[in-house]
Parts: sequence; C-alpha cells; structure tokens
Amino acid sequence: MPLSLSDPHWYPIASSDDLPFRHVYQGQLLGRELAVWRADDGHVNVWENRCLHRGVRLSIGINEGQELKCQYHGWRYANQSAGCTYIPAHPADAPARRIENRKYPMREAFGLIWSAANDDQAFVPFPGAGDHDWFALRPVPVNAAPEDVVAGLARLAPDDQPADLLPGMAVRLDGVVYFVQPVDAGRAVIRGLLPQASGDPITILRHYNELLTRLRDRLERAAARKPAPEPLQPAYEKVSADLATMPEIAIPRGNTLPVLVRRKWQTADGVIGFELAGRDGKHLPTFQPGAHIDLHLPNGLIRQYSITNGPGDLLSYVIGVKAESASKGGSKVLVETVREGDVLAISEPRNNFPLRRDATRTVLIAGGIGITPLLSMARFLDQSSLPYELHYFTRSGESAAFKSELDVLHGAVHIHSGLAREAIQGTVNEVLGPHDFANHVYVCGPGAMLEMVTRTAAALGWPDEAVHFEYFQNDKVIDSSSAFDVELARSAMTLHVPAGRTILEVMREAGLTVPSSCEQGACGTCLTTVMEGEVDHQDVYLNKTEKASNTCMMTCVSRAKSARLVLDI
Amino acid sequence: MTITLYDFELSGNCYKLRLLMSILNLPYDIVPVDFFPGREHKSDAFLRLNPFGQLPVLRDDDLVLSDSGAILAYLAIKYDASGLWFPDDPATTAEVLRWHAVADDITSTSSAARLALGYDYKFDIEKSQQGAHRIFRLMDEHLWFGEKAGRDWLCSPAHPTTADIACFPYVMLSEEGGISRQDYPALRRWTDRVRRIPGFVVMSGIFPAGPARAE
Ligand SMILES: N[C@@H](CCC(=O)N[C@@H](CS)C(=O)NCC(=O)O)C(=O)O
Repeated sequence: MPLSLSDPHWYPIASSDDLPFRHVYQGQLLGRELAVWRADDGHVNVWENRCLHRGVRLSIGINEGQELKCQYHGWRYANQSAGCTYIPAHPADAPARRIENRKYPMREAFGLIWSAANDDQAFVPFPGAGDHDWFALRPVPVNAAPEDVVAGLARLAPDDQPADLLPGMAVRLDGVVYFVQPVDAGRAVIRGLLPQASGDPITILRHYNELLTRLRDRLERAAARKPAPEPLQPAYEKVSADLATMPEIAIPRGNTLPVLVRRKWQTADGVIGFELAGRDGKHLPTFQPGAHIDLHLPNGLIRQYSITNGPGDLLSYVIGVKAESASKGGSKVLVETVREGDVLAISEPRNNFPLRRDATRTVLIAGGIGITPLLSMARFLDQSSLPYELHYFTRSGESAAFKSELDVLHGAVHIHSGLAREAIQGTVNEVLGPHDFANHVYVCGPGAMLEMVTRTAAALGWPDEAVHFEYFQNDKVIDSSSAFDVELARSAMTLHVPAGRTILEVMREAGLTVPSSCEQGACGTCLTTVMEGEVDHQDVYLNKTEKASNTCMMTCVSRAKSARLVLDI
Repeated sequence: MTITLYDFELSGNCYKLRLLMSILNLPYDIVPVDFFPGREHKSDAFLRLNPFGQLPVLRDDDLVLSDSGAILAYLAIKYDASGLWFPDDPATTAEVLRWHAVADDITSTSSAARLALGYDYKFDIEKSQQGAHRIFRLMDEHLWFGEKAGRDWLCSPAHPTTADIACFPYVMLSEEGGISRQDYPALRRWTDRVRRIPGFVVMSGIFPAGPARAE
C-alpha cells in the first residue's frame, strides 16, 4: 500500500523528551517537514517548517518561549495560533490582515508527540494503551520504505508468537508497541513504547537500541538493492507576493465571536478583571501587544478594552474594567450584572497601538486603568529580553491593578502613587529625558495625562513618530461643514449629505437599516466599504494605514473630500 | 604574548579557534588568508608557515602552530586557568583526543561535501555525505544516551571541553553540504547547548540559539 499525502492516521513524530526548554525540533511526516516546539506554558506547536516570508526553515528559528522568531528576517509567530505578531521591516505597523502559518493537529500522550496530516480523524490511543504507564525507546530513523519497516518489525516475532499488527503502522511484539512514523516514501522512524517496569532503564534502552539498530542495518541493505521510491510531493501552498511583504489592508470584518466569562475578580480597588475564554476550549485569535477587543454588552452597547496578555497566551484574554465609571453605562453593566459563566460577544482583536521591538529604549507610561495595554507590551518585551521601563501612576487611595502580574516582570517597573500634578509632570520630564535615536514612549491613561506626556515629549525634542498613544473616545471636534453625495451601490440610490448632518443620519432618513453604536467614530460598528471617492476620516477607530488605504470608513463621523462617495451598501 | 590567527572567515576549522579564544576572552590579531578563490594557503609564503598547506595556522609570539585540534589543546592548556577545557587527567585527555580525531573525520566528510557544493572542490559529494551521516548517527546515539545519563557534552566531565568545540562547526554547517540533521535530534539539542556557552560567537551560516533557562 503506497503512502498517501492525505493519510488521516495519527503517527508519533517525536518523543516528549525531544522538546526541552526553548528548543525547536525538526520533524517530518508523510513528506511534510515540521517545526515542533514547546512553549514555556507547555503547549506543543506542530507547524509547517517554513516561514511565510521567504520560506526559510522555522526549525532553525529561535524559540523565545511564547513566540517563535525566524532567523532570517525576524518575523515572529505566536504560540497556539501560529499567527504572525511582528514584522521587523514594518516595526510601526500592526499587520492588519491575519497572517497565520500552517499548523498540524497535535496530541502529547504516552511520552510521545503525535500528529496527523489533517483533522479528518480524532486521536484514538492504541489498543491496550490504558493498561500500563509507558516510556519511549530511543527513536531509530531508517532509510527504507515505511511499509517495509513494518514488515521487518513483524518478522522479529518468533514463529509461535506472531506479531500483532495494529492500525496506523503499529506492531505489538513481546509486550512492546512499535510505531513506524512514515517520514517519506523511502524513510521512516521506528518509535517504541515499553511498559514501565523495574530494572535499570538505561540497560533496557540500550538493549532495544541494539535490536533496532541491527534491524535498521538489515532494512537499509535491502532497500539499497531496490530502486528508491519517489519521494512524496506535498503541495506547499504558495505564499503570495503580498503575504511575503507587508500585509495589505483588509477591511476589518466586523465578525464577533462568543466568549465565556471564565473568571471575574477584583484586581485592585475599583478595577475588575475579566478572563474571557473561547467556548470550545480552543485558542482565541492572535493579537499583538497594544491590541484591544470590542466587547458587546448585554445592554447592546459596545465598548473597547485592551488585552493585557503576554505573547502566545491565547487560551483566554484578560481585560481590566474600571468599576467606578458608572457614567459610561458600559462598564457599569459589566461590573454589576455580568457573572462568571456568562457568554459575551467580542470582536477579533484590533491594534491601533502597535509596539516596535527594535527600540534601544522603550518607556511605557500608564495612568490608572491605562495600565492594561502597557502590561501586555511589557510582557512581550520581557519575554524577548528586550529592555524597557514601565511607569505606572495611580491616584492617592487608588491601588495598582494587576500587581501580581507586574511583580513577575524582569524589567524596571515603577509604581508612582498619589503624586500631585506637578510631581507627575516632574517625574515624566525626568523619565523621558532628551530624545535619542530609537527611543520610543507609549502612553495610555486619562486625557489629561496623555496631553501632559505628549506636550512634555515634544518640549524635550521627541519627534511625533516616537510618541505613541491610543484613543478610546473620540475627543476631536468633528468638522461637519462639507456637503457631498453618497451613492449606495447595492441599494441603487444616491443621497445628498448636507453640512451639519452625518452620512448615517441621511441613510436612516432614507429608510435604510444600518448598524451603529457609539456614533462618535470610536467603536467600529458602522464600518463601511468605500468603492469610490476620497474619504475625510474623522474617527479614532481606523489606524493610519487603514485610513490611508481609502477603502473603508465610519459613516457616523467621517465625510467626503470629493464631491461623491460610492459605498458598498 | 601576541597571538595571530591566519584565518579564512568561512573556514569552520579557523572558526574553532575564534570560538575558543572568544570563550577564553583571549585577544588576538587576524591575518586573512584568501583560501577561496585565491588559494593563498598554497602560496610559498604560507607553505613556509605550514608545509601541509592547510588553514588554520596560529602564531603565539615566535611559536607557529597548525592543525586546529592541536591548537585548541595548546590554547586551553596554556591560557585556560580553570583547566576545564582540556582537563589534565589521562582518561579525560584520551577521551578529548578521541573526539578531536572524530572532528577531523567530520572535516573530511561534512566539510568536503560543503567545499564540493559551494567552493568548486572535486570531492565525491555522495560519499562525503554518506560518511557524515555515518558519523552523525553515532554522535546522536552517544549524545542521546548521554542525556539519559545526565551528560550534556561529548566527554564525561560535567562541562564542555575542546572536543565539543572541535566537532561543532562542521556539524552546524552540514546543511551547506546537503546533509540534513533532521534524523539526529540529540545532536541538534547538543548544538543548542554549545551555542549557549558564555562567550559563544557566530560565523556565517551559524545562527545563535535562544537563551537558556534562567536558574
Ligand atoms: N586537520 C586540520 C584540517 C584543516 C583543513 O582541512 N583546513 C582546510 C580549510 S578549513 C584547508 O586548509 N584545506 C586545504 C587543503 O587541505 O589543501 C585542522 O583541523 O586544522
């Protein structure tokens, strides 16, 4: 029976011991090369062994603990999702489109790592797996066709006790279960499991190693007498040119996903932490440090919250919500009525606050609840052993949120509590100092703090590109003085938008049902695709690159620079 | 003391000495020798230094030495105050020299395949590759059982020796000779450990490893 690229069986591809701390293992199954690595959180990733950028093997990359970094141009991919989190050639951009490497199914069981070419079959342990604790033999690679290796193993059995052939190229023989890993048409690895027993394990391992080495030599001599089988030809999905460079702008999709409130706790006086997990136990989408999600609340409101997680930490997102801001009806509902076990909807993560990882100096400045995106940034820098300092200002009587999470960081973390305005100003002045090459500051906090930091940085000679911040509320004064026409392509109507009225209002008056929420250009609900015309962006939802693409807009505040806009409505 | 290394940047045998001198924090000067394409190691001037016409050559004041394994031993005995890199113990010395000899076999197989593929040398590529695979198989087995017994390095001491330095470069450069290390997981893990030795330096084609576990 020839090997098939779409063989759905699970095969062992490595021993658990093959994946020590911060190693990247090189494997192969059914012709496909694999990069296999264990993250610091224990999760084992089985990925196609090529960087999406230039096809360089990821098995020579650096396991940074929660991200894998390609040696060639430094693209980083997240534990769990294999999503690209950073492109050094575009340090100031958040990849707007999701770039994800190809992953294969994985199970760790009986001291072995198992994988399959596809998801068609559920993992089923071999018959009798539950009868013992097992330990793995030294794997023995063989340059021979996998089916010949299975036959060779079976021939090791004495005549009166024939070997037991198990599904998935496995052979039970004298209490040992052997698995043949089909590496390629002419290559295999013999892996074996032995029931835990008394006796010196090294002596036992040596015994089986000798047995299998002799078998290997016989099989290879036989294989050398036959024509070598054609190697399997796995089709690598070609990486498109645009994927190999900077991702083009994708319209945010507006999809939501349901999440379970797994934990709700008080992380500081007046700050409630929420842990939101996927409902199927699978990981959530890749995010970059500084990213936020839209949270759809039970009362219909949509609010933005920063993700506090570190790299490759995708089994749940943790956000922090300020309890006191009852005025913002959103937080109040979350804090008062949402309980553990409730299901909420969130958007995919978006990032208007990307973190550069090429700075020689990174200063993170947080005020109050503004700590949340900066905690995530600090965790990413920490994991990559990059230098940073975090300054967290809290009001007097206010306690620091996520204190235990901050305590385990290795960088310089300073909590400044209860400083008066002038003292804060003085500290910020001192902390920033004069600007130097590759210095970057990131700030998140109340409007007054943002304003103080940006003003101070400017006074100290920091260029705009080095000062990073993010808005969750649109404080800009909206200029609604323009008048223009909008053509709604799918609805086949043209409307006039006079000065003083929004596109959204005019569409509603014309009888159209269009979704919206904050109506101040902050939440993203009314996002619309632009087909023609030049947009006058006035929102704080889209990032610079998205705005420059002129392919989408927020109809609640943004307008037209051209006389006419054509929208995909 | 003034140490001068007659060096070719892309030579793994020269890199062995750069690596040990970096680890031992020894200052040295470099005289570049145009091994490829200039074949300067066959020039009269060079043959006066090493009649065998091979890199590397190392000069320490008036002493002129050749053969990377011999020079590794010399540098360690003379300049490694800790005595760890070339231990003064008969059994361990024999063990280290045994692996220095393996290192030469790796040069004549893995390095030969690389020279044939990348530098126009007329070596039998297939034979060189098969020879390297044979050695790598044995090294993988040795290192695998070493890990089981708590031994991280090629020789018995609980720390690396010049044996690890001598064998490392042409294991690491084997892909340039078309020799995959996929079948040698324990050998691959050992290359991580070598790359985490404090003072480790790279050469073209050899990448750094991620950091070790913070103790
Ligand atoms: N055993 C010697 C081998 C040195 C060797 O092969 N050197 C190469 C350069 S990496 C060379 O000079 N080859 C030229 C030749 O052998 O003619 C050592 O370890 O130093």
